[in-house]
Amino acid sequence: MASESNSRVGDDQGNGKGGRTTSALKRQIARIEDDAEDAWSRTRDVFSDVTDTLDIKGRLNRNPYGTLAAAIGIGYVLGGGFFTPLTARLVRLGLKVGVRLAILPLLNDEAANLVSGMVGAEGSSGSESKSRKGRQNNSNEGKVP
Amino acid sequence: MEIAEKLEETAREFEDRVRPQVEQAKKRLGAINEDVTDYIKANPGKCLLGALALGYIVGRIARR
Repeated sequence: MASESNSRVGDDQGNGKGGRTTSALKRQIARIEDDAEDAWSRTRDVFSDVTDTLDIKGRLNRNPYGTLAAAIGIGYVLGGGFFTPLTARLVRLGLKVGVRLAILPLLNDEAANLVSGMVGAEGSSGSESKSRKGRQNNSNEGKVP
Repeated sequence: MEIAEKLEETAREFEDRVRPQVEQAKKRLGAINEDVTDYIKANPGKCLLGALALGYIVGRIARR
């Protein structure tokens, strides 16, 4: 009889301990859930802040191809392709095309201006030389032959 | 003089023949451009992630 009561007390104690541990576990799980939810909402907030700051949707609506090209460039850099011969070649090609597109029209204009100036100067110098010759002749006439 | 006239005539004929095709190609390219931009605007995340992934892969290949 005594041993039976002892075992019951032990059972009660065990149940009590188990109940306490399960409730503690439940509380811990709830806390982890809360933390996870908090972390998720914070991440979402940060993501929305970043998207608002960068205005990705607006950029895509305004200039879809440019935004995609920028994304490809960012991916290229992230992939480690920045300091490579391919980049050097691309930069060289871009510089060549850029120089041709930007500087050649200016050079053409300059050349046209130069040519027109030369033609104008030639015309005026031709008339000037004629008048100079005339003046020389006149002065020669005045001198002793 | 006759040769110049003939050349002019053939150029005009060529222009008449080619112009509709060029116009059609222009229209088709415009439609394709519109479709692509609409798709990009409808799926911005997908397109951006795809572009990032494409750039990353190209960068990886260039790194080798």
